[in-house]
Amino acid sequence: MNNYLYDGTPEGLVSAIASILDSGENPEETHLAVRQDTLFEEGLFLRTDSALAEALFERLRQRAPDAVYTLWYFMMAEADGLETSLLRYIALAFEHGDRVNGYLTHADVKGIVGTARKAGRELHRMKGLLRFEQLRDGTWLARMEPDCNVIQPLARHFSRRLRAQEWFIYDARRRSAAHWNGSDLSFGTLEQFSRPELSPEEQAVQQLWQTFFKTIAIPERKNPRLQKSNMPAKYWKYLTEKQGE
Amino acid sequence: MELQEKITILSGAARYDASCASSGCSNDTPRGGMGNTSQGGICHSWADDGRCISLLKILLSNDCRYDCAYCVNRSSNPVPRASFTAREVVDLTMEFYRRNYIEGLFLSSAVNVSPDHTMEAMVQVAEILRNEERFGGYIHLKVIPGSSPELVRRAGLAADRISVNIELPSSESLKRLAPQKSKEAILAPMKLIGAESGMSLVERRKSRKAPRFAPAGQSTQMIIGASPETDLQILRLSQGLYSRMNLKRVYYSAFVPVNEDNRLPVLAAPPLLREHRLYQADWLLRFYGFSAEEILSDDAPNLDESFDPKTAWALRNPGFFPVEVNRADYATLLRVPGIGVTSARRIIAARRFAPISPEGMKKIGVVMKRARYFITCSGRPFERVDQQPARLRQRLLLGDGSEPKLPRQLVLPGLG
Ligand code: SF4
Repeated sequence: MNNYLYDGTPEGLVSAIASILDSGENPEETHLAVRQDTLFEEGLFLRTDSALAEALFERLRQRAPDAVYTLWYFMMAEADGLETSLLRYIALAFEHGDRVNGYLTHADVKGIVGTARKAGRELHRMKGLLRFEQLRDGTWLARMEPDCNVIQPLARHFSRRLRAQEWFIYDARRRSAAHWNGSDLSFGTLEQFSRPELSPEEQAVQQLWQTFFKTIAIPERKNPRLQKSNMPAKYWKYLTEKQGE
Repeated sequence: MELQEKITILSGAARYDASCASSGCSNDTPRGGMGNTSQGGICHSWADDGRCISLLKILLSNDCRYDCAYCVNRSSNPVPRASFTAREVVDLTMEFYRRNYIEGLFLSSAVNVSPDHTMEAMVQVAEILRNEERFGGYIHLKVIPGSSPELVRRAGLAADRISVNIELPSSESLKRLAPQKSKEAILAPMKLIGAESGMSLVERRKSRKAPRFAPAGQSTQMIIGASPETDLQILRLSQGLYSRMNLKRVYYSAFVPVNEDNRLPVLAAPPLLREHRLYQADWLLRFYGFSAEEILSDDAPNLDESFDPKTAWALRNPGFFPVEVNRADYATLLRVPGIGVTSARRIIAARRFAPISPEGMKKIGVVMKRARYFITCSGRPFERVDQQPARLRQRLLLGDGSEPKLPRQLVLPGLG
């Protein structure tokens, strides 16, 4: 086994993979991990090189555009410990092109594609579960704490859907925020955050929604387990219809 | 009446309608407007019964002049009545949409005053949403049987989907249980919708500016178990609706007795399992290349209670098996119990790299509990396939080869 280490950043990961692939090392016999700086750590540290990472992306885009998407989703998942699998996945993508995503009987491919799907699923879920509240100044705010870092594609989705209103999306887990001003999207981080005051109508509309939510369920068929498996409790914190339950 | 109270009455009355899918069409946000729809459909919440909420599903009115035997809102029932104004529905839709509670609106109604009177108000809701509010989200309108062609046309131009409930699987049953509705009043708008949307597709191929008519297609719903039709009759009807009327979806709803009426059968419980089996069989018609006559026959006109229709078919056709997973084509793979559309596609994608092993089958997501009796992997069988059919049935039942008998959803008689 050849052991390599990198600095733990997404860019560092891609750049490390690029240099391993360039070196001609056999990916199936190579191990890649984040440097921990412990005494007994073994392996060669690969310095992050953005140009190298860029170039790899570009080549992969030519050879396997779907695999670039998978890589993009995989990064959103912020998964630990799958660096070696990603290295092998990318090597296979260069070898086979986009067909690689069908190679689910390969453990590393399955690990990467499965993790990417997890992020894709959460992104899709948040498109439905995100709730906007109207603030006193007429702008809108949505708060969330997703497992995966989905704020960018999520904000892009809402910039098409709710494009006639000014809004903010805040990821409380990562302290990151997106802002749509009616024509442009911007991203940033917030050190401090407290929810501003709501508009006077907000409460009434929320109540109407809570009423609808309650009456639309068929009473004879209450099924909290099914409800929870479709809509895990970790998302309830910001759901209007689940407040005060 | 307070808006809160109206919502309670009119969403409560709408909750039994199953045909709420918002998927299958994509709209862009109109210029300066609000909202789009997305191809896959988005669930915004899950109700306490576990069902997905994606639309504001509501009745415009439950104040009905008709008296259909199976319906809670029939005129002879003493239930609280309420009606929305068009404006109220428009405002609710917009306020909910802005907060990302919903994908759009699913509006149905009881027959208030007359079919045209009710339909006119429903069309108004859709037109105000599109023209005044510039709303680009999803709109599904349920057509009131007997409304004029002109109104159906306007409905189709404003909505993404319009549907007419076929209500019961035969015209005799319709006559007996819903005497104020006629087969013609239901089929006429269905035909008109089919023709108009076909024409709009042709026109739009010539010019992107041609108006879109109900782009998400047409669906319908029928009540199961309130009348004596067999499953074969029902599936034949659906098959015809798919092939001749170009319907996108047929929904089945298990009959739940809400009224005392000597025209109705007395059931201990709603036929939920039957409803579930019909959905499975319908799936086979639409996605698996089966015909109604393959699934059922005049000798055995009803679906098996113990097995899903595909397993039942496999048990009746042992000569078709075993299927070799490393060679069989897509259509053949689809006929294997335990292999669905996704796993069949994955098998074909994965075997390009290397022959699939038994472990590989599990990784791909094949339900081996069922599939094992019907396949070989590179010539190796998992189980002897040529056993006595009776013993195979038994093993499938005992060895967890059958699926849980829990029906996925309960659906009650439709309205409108
Ligand atoms: S099914 Fe429709 S028309 Fe018949 S009573 Fe009910 S609401 Fe009225």
